[in-house]
Amino acid sequence: MSAFLTYLLNGLAVGCAIALIASGLVAIHRVTGVVNFAQGTFAVVAGLCTSSLLGLGFPHGLSELAAVLAAAVAGLLTGLAAIGKRGTTPLSALIVTLGVGVLAYAVEIVLWGDQPRSAPGLAGSMIVAGARIQTQHLLVIGVTTATFVLLALFFGRTYLGKALTACASNPYAARVVGIDVRKMGLLAFALGGLLGGIAGVLVTPLRPISFDTDVTLIVNGFAAAVFGALTRPVVTLIGALLLGVAETMAAGYGYGSHQLEVALGLMLVVMIVQAGRRSVISLEST
Amino acid sequence: MIRLVAGLLIAAVTLALPSVLDESALPVYILLGLAAMVTVGVSLLMGYAGQVSLGQGAFYAIGAYTAALLALNGVPPLAGLIAAPVVAALSALVIGTPLLRLRGHHLAFATLAMQLILLSLAGQLEFTGGDIGLQAIPQFSVGSWEAEGATTYAYLTWAGVALVMLVTHNVITSRPGRALRALATSETAAASSGIPVGRYKLTVFALSAAFAGLAGGIYCFYTGYVAPGSFPVLMSIQYIVMAVVGGLGTTWGAVIGASAITLLLQGLNTLSSLPGMPTYAPSVFSYAVYALVLIVVVLFLPQGLLPAVTDRLVRRRREPSVRTR
Repeated sequence: MSAFLTYLLNGLAVGCAIALIASGLVAIHRVTGVVNFAQGTFAVVAGLCTSSLLGLGFPHGLSELAAVLAAAVAGLLTGLAAIGKRGTTPLSALIVTLGVGVLAYAVEIVLWGDQPRSAPGLAGSMIVAGARIQTQHLLVIGVTTATFVLLALFFGRTYLGKALTACASNPYAARVVGIDVRKMGLLAFALGGLLGGIAGVLVTPLRPISFDTDVTLIVNGFAAAVFGALTRPVVTLIGALLLGVAETMAAGYGYGSHQLEVALGLMLVVMIVQAGRRSVISLEST
Repeated sequence: MIRLVAGLLIAAVTLALPSVLDESALPVYILLGLAAMVTVGVSLLMGYAGQVSLGQGAFYAIGAYTAALLALNGVPPLAGLIAAPVVAALSALVIGTPLLRLRGHHLAFATLAMQLILLSLAGQLEFTGGDIGLQAIPQFSVGSWEAEGATTYAYLTWAGVALVMLVTHNVITSRPGRALRALATSETAAASSGIPVGRYKLTVFALSAAFAGLAGGIYCFYTGYVAPGSFPVLMSIQYIVMAVVGGLGTTWGAVIGASAITLLLQGLNTLSSLPGMPTYAPSVFSYAVYALVLIVVVLFLPQGLLPAVTDRLVRRRREPSVRTR
């Protein structure tokens, strides 16, 4: 029973990290209609930055904050490349973000080399209801909860957040009332970078990160985002937690080598079921 | 007339090159041909069926593993080479039936997922040799004649490219080809004019998979070694880059795109092996080239290299220009 609880809590922590990446995807897709392939890259950039900054002797907290900001800047740059030029279709923008992700490989290898890097996080573990859980896992869950509460407040209570939501629901109407849709799109990319960065900073102490970790991260994040049809943040959160728990359980009970297949298979099934319910015309008119 | 002369000239140069090129240039020539073969399929799929596949490397791998397994089990290599595209196309039919209900970014991720699953399986299963892969694949042979040296493989590869281009040309200029063009612009409109949208998309998907499978089959005989590591995700991205650079939906564009990228990478490779360059230089250069070329072409040259150049030539010849598209 305590093993089950341990797996559950670990799984929730993994799911939280996925949820952060997925919510970045959703934020960008809602506002701009672009699926950002470079979303995993933001996490990698933040993770590698943290390990470097900590290695240089900067204190905890400051290093993490700087790393998250670096990821946000990376997000903004990605946005400039993807939607900065007028008349870029979402599918072209997807290919551009793919290019940005590959370009990031080159930059990351030059700056950090091609070996995996790790960073010290919160050491030690605690006993929760008879189950041993690493403190870092609890930190991940706590920070993610706080982030999601802040996100809800941002979108629900601030003008900026409401402007973003307006762009998501009807770009034309948003433009009519004087919202700069392109600027909001760039803001969404920066927000996506920020969220990806938080995920990267939280995950790096748990598992070493190298330049090509982003493929696993983005695929997991996309799988979670697909649960919410790339538009609904709450469903995405639930999907991510389910995915994290399912993967950790599979690994814990001895199917570790099939972890990736579980996630990918689940994603394919969800996508195909959803595709059956959407009509072609609604997609082509947008 | 100009077209015919140009075609003959290119054919002559292609045939002459293997005997002229030296030891170090021939492998590049062969890999270029293999990449061109796959890219023609990707270009057909993206340009005509309007679908992005990030998993073309998976069909390359299926072709390579099929030919390798058959050859290792005593089946004549020619039969193996024929089976490679057939098996790749069949698996594309099976995989594509559920997957092609998706479109756009969903399909891109689904095909990427497919390749990741396939590679992971190939790395774990017993009969594919796990992560080590399959080794000591016999040389390609027909009857008692056996392929020797890279020159033979160069001819084999480019014969494959010619075949692939011929098939593509015939598909494009036929009635189904017109249907495919209609399908790429609007599926609803195509369906309402009586085009069986689903079946046509699946057929093009299978055809492009067959091209990749053929390239994979030749590749496994040429290198004599197949492992999951030979087919990274970057490989599938590379084909997208080549197709986009050459111009989507153009047969010659695919070959030109493949040549341009391969030669550019080769040039940078030589540059990065100069003394004084850091050890990571080759991979950094290749990542940077793929990325920058892809971004610049998608944003500023969305038609691709070949259509952009021919457009300009045609416009200069007959002014004032009337763009029909």
